[in-house]
Amino acid sequence: MAADSIAVGRQASKPPARGVAYQIPRNSLALLMVAQVVVVIPYLFHLSPWIIAVCLFCGYWRSGVYQGRWDYPRRWIKAVLVASSVGGVVLSGVGLFSLEAAASLLILAFALKLIEMKGRRDAYLVIFLGYFSIATQFLFDQSIAVAAYQVVAVTVVTAAMVGLNQLATRVNPFESLRIAGSLILQALPLTVVLFLFFPRIAPLWTVPLPSSSSTGISDRMKPGDVAELIRSDELAFRVVFDGAVPPNRELYWRGLVYSRFLDGTWSVGGLLPEWDATARPRPRSGSDSVDYEVLLEPTQSDWLFALDVPEARTPGVVLTRDFRLEAPDPVLSVFRYRVTSRPGLAMDPYPDAAGLPDMLRRRETWYPEDDNPRTQAFAADLWNESGHDPEVFVSALQAQIRRQPYFYTLSPPTLEERGSIDAFWFDTRRGFCTHYAGALVFMLRSVGVPARMVGGYQGGEINPVTGHVMVRQYDAHAWAEYWLPGEGWRRVDPTAAVAPARIEQGLNAALSAEDRASLSAFTSARFEGLAVFRDLLFWADSLEHRWNLWVIGYDTQLQGNVLKQLLGQITPARIGAALLLGGALSLGLVAAVLFWRRRPAPRHPVERAFSRFCARVAGSGWRRAPGEPPATFIRRIAASGALRDDQAASLVADLDRLLYNPAADWGSRDVRQLRNQLRKLQFRLAFGATR
Amino acid sequence: MTQAVDSSSSFFGRRFGRWLDRRIPPSPEISLSQRNVFIFPTRTGFVFGGLLLLLVLAAINYQASLVYGVAFLLGSVFLVTILYTFRNLSGLRLEFAGTRPGFVGEDIEFSIRVVRPQDGGRGRRGREGIQIGFPDGIVQWVDLHHQEADLVRLYVQGSRRGYLHPGRLLVETYYPLGLLRAWTWVDLDARALVYPRPLFSELPELMAGRRDEGQLIDPQGSEDFTDIKAYQPGDPVKHIIWRSYARGDELMVKRYASFMEPRLWLDLDDVGGGLEERLSRLTGMALQAARLGREFGLRLGKVEVKPAVGEAHLERVLRELALYGS
Repeated sequence: MAADSIAVGRQASKPPARGVAYQIPRNSLALLMVAQVVVVIPYLFHLSPWIIAVCLFCGYWRSGVYQGRWDYPRRWIKAVLVASSVGGVVLSGVGLFSLEAAASLLILAFALKLIEMKGRRDAYLVIFLGYFSIATQFLFDQSIAVAAYQVVAVTVVTAAMVGLNQLATRVNPFESLRIAGSLILQALPLTVVLFLFFPRIAPLWTVPLPSSSSTGISDRMKPGDVAELIRSDELAFRVVFDGAVPPNRELYWRGLVYSRFLDGTWSVGGLLPEWDATARPRPRSGSDSVDYEVLLEPTQSDWLFALDVPEARTPGVVLTRDFRLEAPDPVLSVFRYRVTSRPGLAMDPYPDAAGLPDMLRRRETWYPEDDNPRTQAFAADLWNESGHDPEVFVSALQAQIRRQPYFYTLSPPTLEERGSIDAFWFDTRRGFCTHYAGALVFMLRSVGVPARMVGGYQGGEINPVTGHVMVRQYDAHAWAEYWLPGEGWRRVDPTAAVAPARIEQGLNAALSAEDRASLSAFTSARFEGLAVFRDLLFWADSLEHRWNLWVIGYDTQLQGNVLKQLLGQITPARIGAALLLGGALSLGLVAAVLFWRRRPAPRHPVERAFSRFCARVAGSGWRRAPGEPPATFIRRIAASGALRDDQAASLVADLDRLLYNPAADWGSRDVRQLRNQLRKLQFRLAFGATR
Repeated sequence: MTQAVDSSSSFFGRRFGRWLDRRIPPSPEISLSQRNVFIFPTRTGFVFGGLLLLLVLAAINYQASLVYGVAFLLGSVFLVTILYTFRNLSGLRLEFAGTRPGFVGEDIEFSIRVVRPQDGGRGRRGREGIQIGFPDGIVQWVDLHHQEADLVRLYVQGSRRGYLHPGRLLVETYYPLGLLRAWTWVDLDARALVYPRPLFSELPELMAGRRDEGQLIDPQGSEDFTDIKAYQPGDPVKHIIWRSYARGDELMVKRYASFMEPRLWLDLDDVGGGLEERLSRLTGMALQAARLGREFGLRLGKVEVKPAVGEAHLERVLRELALYGS
């Protein structure tokens, strides 16, 4: 005992007690700041810029605190920040109970909590808010890229949590990241098991839905709108045909019917009722049918796209009297539906009635009589020339388009709202599908033939990797339908007259070089010459497609099919067993990785013999104290009379020589001899024999 | 030795203590395994569970597959963490590695050796964030990354003289996420000696023992300078002539007449007050006598320590004082 230790009044130095002035470990803090950035980045596309600005401000402040330059915000600053954030959300115009408002508040809470975070509890709150923000982001976007990104985000947030439980003095965030990374990696097999087997349930109550703006066809259409859409190569939907893919010219994906025309704008008229169970479209010619499944990207609307004449195979999807399909709810995430289309059916909404009901006839022949007088006069002349036959009239119009110098272009001259058809038909003669279809419908109506504009997509690109058809926004198209007594609605596409290539081979073939150059950089049309890029795009698309099919689209129905395949039949017991077995297997795998110990390096045989001896004599009450040298232990035993002094001395000498003298030249004989000696001693101790 | 864990006074506390004694019997060395490590979610862990529930609800209502995905991933992380948290303690060996005695009112030091199991010497499989502490003491963090073992010093306040049993040692860890706590109460059979709190009073010449033993010398005698000699280890430091040392000479000490003083007896019967107070006074005297380098002995009723000097002697005297009556 050192003299110091008994010096009176001297207190042993003692480290600070737990709970006194807790400080969040710095590596955890650093990770939390990184996590904030990582979590907020995907929201850049969904939330207003001022929220992002608040996040940046808070992050900047916190980094100032981190570096010791600034203090935590004072109470009144916090109050002002919170009040103005909440006020900002209220005033920003998004609905108070909308998902956007909730997400905005969540992100703001996450950012604001970061600057006032001091204790361990605050840190956990920030971490949990971070997890929640990551999950909420998936309500806006579930693409594979976002999912991959969010796995990284989860890792960073988890690393912050690891940092919280490491010694405060460790300053290497990468170590925490490494641990979090292996945690996540090892959790993945179990995640897959849970994802497969955890029962999917129908929604418990209705929730506010994201109302983010979307690209795509809308229910109001000005001639320029489709031309804008054409500039986007965003995916509209994917189609998987059960059989062969029909030729491009037959792929008219009908989506919306525009019955009103006013001031140069086409819009959807009043809604038509659904078909009831007893009524069926009347067959017209042939009985071919096409079966396919559509995976529609979110549109925020309830209209669906299908080929003529569709019959929905997915529960909830209905057919309307204008032969469109409607989803039960607005499409907010990828929506899959099966359709059987029969091109041979007549598009006659009331097959039992003779012709078009008056109400519908009035609606589909109405036009602003004071607008486009030249076109009206032209149509009246042509109508007389064609002997009041709609079919002849339409062919004459198509011939006119073909013969006269009409041009198909993405950038037609801008037209006044009034007199737009006059200006297009007689003066500019340059236009896009909507111009031609619009002019055609207007002329048909002006002579009393029911006609309407139809919007949707035309064509599509076959992905050679998986064989599905990709329909993109630049496939958006508009065409016309007119009423033929006895037959029903008939499709007519005047664009086919001015640019046949558009219908036969797709947009790209119909465009002039100038138009093509104006398309967005990533349109696959631009990669026409670069086979590698094209292949890469196809590959990426098929990956996204499979992701939509199997991951995002993994709903009650698909789960039912998969489980039936895996388990034979679906009973709670089997699902429970599968969950347990899968869970045990995946956790067992992790346990094997964690607890697997490499065999310790082979020990010295004498050491091994001695430790075995120690373990055995422990049973007879002789316990080697921790750190007790072998010689001391043997002497202690010998002192009890179990060994003669000379025996003890020789044993100790042997042990010391064999264990500690590196120069000792020992062979297996020495070891055997020593082992025998130890064994004898052990027996003596066990049976209490002395000398 | 049944040590109080948490609340020995309550019925369940005592039952728990007895159960623990059977489950984890006292031993100066113990290896942690599934037999003696408990694991349970922390409050944070339950909040985390609530978060998962919320996520699953959101996934159901929004029919969002990837929100399910996040919930399942976090749930799986939680389950994997059970293994991590348990592994952090599993295989550790704890050894009681000695104490340093102290006085009542002081923090008494206990040394615990924490040894990592051999797993092929892979540093990546270190243990970290292990907290160990006695119920009444402070908690220490242990990290075993590259070293195989660490010596942890724990301090428990000595409140009574005699042997201090610090109770069961709490070994716990919240690593890696703080959602779970793995812990164990091990009894390392540790005890430390606590000496009485010293009380200092007048120097003991007034009661320097019985008249028949040695001669009472003038107390001022210790001030009587006799001669100078070269320093030898053991000479009182206060007698060193620093001035001559500063001049560069050898260490010299002054010799005083007090060297010749007779032996001093510290006797329980010679001091006043209650028993504890008397023991405290004797302790103070022993310390002062030792500091002055005087030869002294101790008499506690039948117990007698022959007068002597030195470290070991003082220790022996203090031990008798600490254990008197027990």
